[in-house]
Amino acid sequence: MDFRFTEEEEAFRKEVQDFLRKSLPPDWLGVDPGPEEESREEVYPLALEMWRNLGAKGWIGLTWPKEYGGQEASLWKEMTLLQELAYRGVPGMDLAIAQADLFLNFGPEEQKRRFIPPIARGEVKWAIGMSEPNAGSDTFAVQLRAVEEEDCFVLNGQKIWSSGAHHAKYQVVYARTDPDKHLGLSVFIVDLESPGITMRQITQMTGIPAFCEVFFDNVRVPKENLLGEKNGGWQILLHAFGAERTYGLFIIYNAKRYLEQLVQYCRETYVNGQPLAKDPLIRNRLAQIAIEIEVGLNLGHELNWMATQGMPTVKASSQIKVHGAAVAQRMANLGQQILGLYGPLNEDSKWVKLGGRFRHTYLSAVAFSMAGGTSETSRNHIAGRFGLGLPRK
Amino acid sequence: MDLSFSEEQEMLWKSARDFLANKCPKTMVREMEEDEKGYVPELWKEMADLGWIGLPFPEKYGGGGFSFLDLVVLLEEMGRACLPGPFISTVVLGGLPILEWGTEEQKQNILPQVCEGKAILTLALTEPSARYDAASIQIKATPEGDNYVISGTKLFVHDAHIADSIIVVARTAEKASPEEGITLFIVDGKSPGISTFVLRTIAGDKQCELTMDKVKVPKANILGKVDQGWGMIKKIVEWAALAKSAEMMGGAQQVLEMTIDYAKERVQFDRPIGSFQIIQHYLADMSIDVDSSRVSLHKAAWMLGEGIPCTKEISVIKGWISEAYRRVTAQAHQIHGAIGFTKDHDLELYFRRAKAGELFFGDADFHREIVAQQLGL
Repeated sequence: MDFRFTEEEEAFRKEVQDFLRKSLPPDWLGVDPGPEEESREEVYPLALEMWRNLGAKGWIGLTWPKEYGGQEASLWKEMTLLQELAYRGVPGMDLAIAQADLFLNFGPEEQKRRFIPPIARGEVKWAIGMSEPNAGSDTFAVQLRAVEEEDCFVLNGQKIWSSGAHHAKYQVVYARTDPDKHLGLSVFIVDLESPGITMRQITQMTGIPAFCEVFFDNVRVPKENLLGEKNGGWQILLHAFGAERTYGLFIIYNAKRYLEQLVQYCRETYVNGQPLAKDPLIRNRLAQIAIEIEVGLNLGHELNWMATQGMPTVKASSQIKVHGAAVAQRMANLGQQILGLYGPLNEDSKWVKLGGRFRHTYLSAVAFSMAGGTSETSRNHIAGRFGLGLPRK
Repeated sequence: MDLSFSEEQEMLWKSARDFLANKCPKTMVREMEEDEKGYVPELWKEMADLGWIGLPFPEKYGGGGFSFLDLVVLLEEMGRACLPGPFISTVVLGGLPILEWGTEEQKQNILPQVCEGKAILTLALTEPSARYDAASIQIKATPEGDNYVISGTKLFVHDAHIADSIIVVARTAEKASPEEGITLFIVDGKSPGISTFVLRTIAGDKQCELTMDKVKVPKANILGKVDQGWGMIKKIVEWAALAKSAEMMGGAQQVLEMTIDYAKERVQFDRPIGSFQIIQHYLADMSIDVDSSRVSLHKAAWMLGEGIPCTKEISVIKGWISEAYRRVTAQAHQIHGAIGFTKDHDLELYFRRAKAGELFFGDADFHREIVAQQLGL
C-alpha cells in the first residue's frame, strides 16, 4: 500500500496551481463546479477565457488520442487537473468534455474528427439534452420523438434542466425512436441554431438563469449526426452516467475551499476581544466538517485508484456523490450559522462577508443532491447489483 | 498510489480470519465478558506462537518486524471476531512505548517476554477526572534514594489486573505548564502496595481501578526522560486511537456484512426485506460509513509506518469511526428488529463494543479538537 502521489503527478499539480495563480483574478473566491455559475454575467467572460486558456494549454481532454487534439496522458493527470480546478473554483470547464468522451466511444470517425478537435481547443460549448418534464430520475422515460425520414431525423418534443444551453452551440439529445422503453432510445448531435428550436432560460433559486428549457418543433437533424446506432441509445446513456463518476469528488474539493475560507474568517473575526476561532463550539463544528471532507477525499483517491486499475467504480462513485452532497449542504448551513446576520446578505451589499459565497452555496448546495443523479438514485446503485447485491424483489 | 494489500497482508488477514473463526467463537467471547481474567491464556500462547503478539517488534527481541499497517490488518480481524484480551494493552500501550523510548536493558528484559506471550503489559494514564489531558495527571511520584514512591488511584486502566508490568504516568515536578513535570515509570505489576479492582462495563472489557499505596519503583525503571513524559503520552494516545480504530473497523465491517445477509434472507410481506428501498438506502448509508472509514484508517496507518507526520489523519479516523461505528451498529439493530436485541444474537456484542471503542483514547469531540488545532484554529 502506498498513498503517495508520484513525483510526476506532484509536479503536474504544481504546474496547474501556478497556472491558476496567474490566470485567475488575485482575489478570486471561486465558483461551484459545473456550468451553473457561468450564467452570471460577471463570470461568463472569465469562463470563456479559461476554457480557451485550458485548450491552449492542451489540458482539455488530456487522455484523448493525439489525432483529435488530446495528449494521451494518464487518467491520473486528468484527475489531478480536474480536482485542482474544482478546488480553486475555476469556471470554464465545459460539459463538452463528457460529450467528446461519448464521441470517442460511440461515434464514427467522421464525428470524432469534426467535433472533438474544436472542443480540445476550448472553442465550442456543449449542452446535454437528457431530462424532460416526465423523465427525471426515470431517465428512460424520454418522450421527445425522432422520426426517420429519407435524409434526416425529425425531432419533436421538449428537454428541460439543460444547463448552459443558451451559451452552447450543440446539444446531445436523447430521443425516442421506438416505443420499447429501454431499447427505443437514440442519441443525436443537434446544432442549437437549427430551425424549429426555441429556448427559455429558467432562473434557479440562486437567482442564476442557468437552466434552459429547449423546445423542438419539427427540427431536422442530418443522419450523420446520429451518435451510435439507432435504438442503441441505452448504451450511451449508461456510459454517460458512468462519466458522472467524479462529480461527487468535485463537490468535496469545492467544499474544501469553502471550509478554508470559513476557517480564515474565524481566525480574523473578533467577538468580545476573542477570535471566533477560539470558541469551542465553532472549533468543534468546523473540525467535524473538516473530518467529513477528509474522509470523502480519501474515498475519492481510492476511487481514482480503482478507476486506473480498471476496477468497477459504480459503488464507490455513488458513495462519494451521496456523501459529498450531504457534506456540502451541512457546510453551507454551518457557514450561515457562523456568519450570523451577515450570512444571508446578497453579493452586492457593501456589508457582505466572504463575497456572499455562503449565501450562494446555501442555495446552490440544495442541487448537489440532485445534479448528476439524485442521492436516492445513487443509493439504489450502491445497494444494487454492482454494489451490495441486494435483491430487486 | 497503490491501495492494494501486499501478499503478506493478504495472508495475514486470511489466516487471522480462519484462526479466529475457529478459536474465538461467540460463546467464548461471552464467557470472557464474565470471566475474572477476561482472556484465555492458552489462546494467548497460541497467538504468540503465530507471531501475532510480537508482530511490530524487531526480530532481535523475538518479534516479526512488521509495520503498523500490518498490525492494523490484524486488529481489524480481531475486531471482527470480538477477540477478548489484553492485545492492545500489551502491544500498543505497553510494548511500543518501551520499544520507542526504553533503554536497551528495559527492552531486553521485557520485549522478548512479550513476544513469547509470557508478559502482559498496560498503561495507567487516566485518573478519576476521566480525561486525557495533562492537567489531569495528579498522582505524584516522589524520589526516595534509588527509588521513586508513587501513591494514588488510576482509573479505567485496561487489563491492570493481569498485567506483569504497568507503565504508570505520574507527576514528578510542579511546573508552570501542566504538560511539564510528567514522568513514565515501568512498574512491576506484583509490587507491594498495588491493588486492582475490575470495573464492570458495557462491553465486558476489563478496565480497572488501580490503587497504589507507597509503591516503590527503582529509578532504573523510568521510561524516557524525567519530567518529559507528556510528549510520549501524546504519541501513545495516537497509536492507541489508531489501533482501536482498526478494531472498530473490523467490527463495523462484520456488522455491515451480517446485516446485508440478514436483509437478503429475512422475508416479510412475501419478499426479502432487503428488496425494500428504505432498507437498501439504510444499508447504502452504512456502507458509506464503513468504506470511508477503511480507506482513512489505512491511510493514517500507512503514514505512521512511513514516518510521515499524521496527527491530523489519526484524529480524522478516530473522530470519524467513533461515530460511524455507532451509527452502523444502531442502524443494523433497526434492520434486524427484535432478534438483534437479544443476547442470543451476535449483533448486541458489536453495539456494546462500539460505544466502548468510541470512548477509548479520545472520543469524537476529543479528536475534533485536535483536528481544529491542525486546521490552524
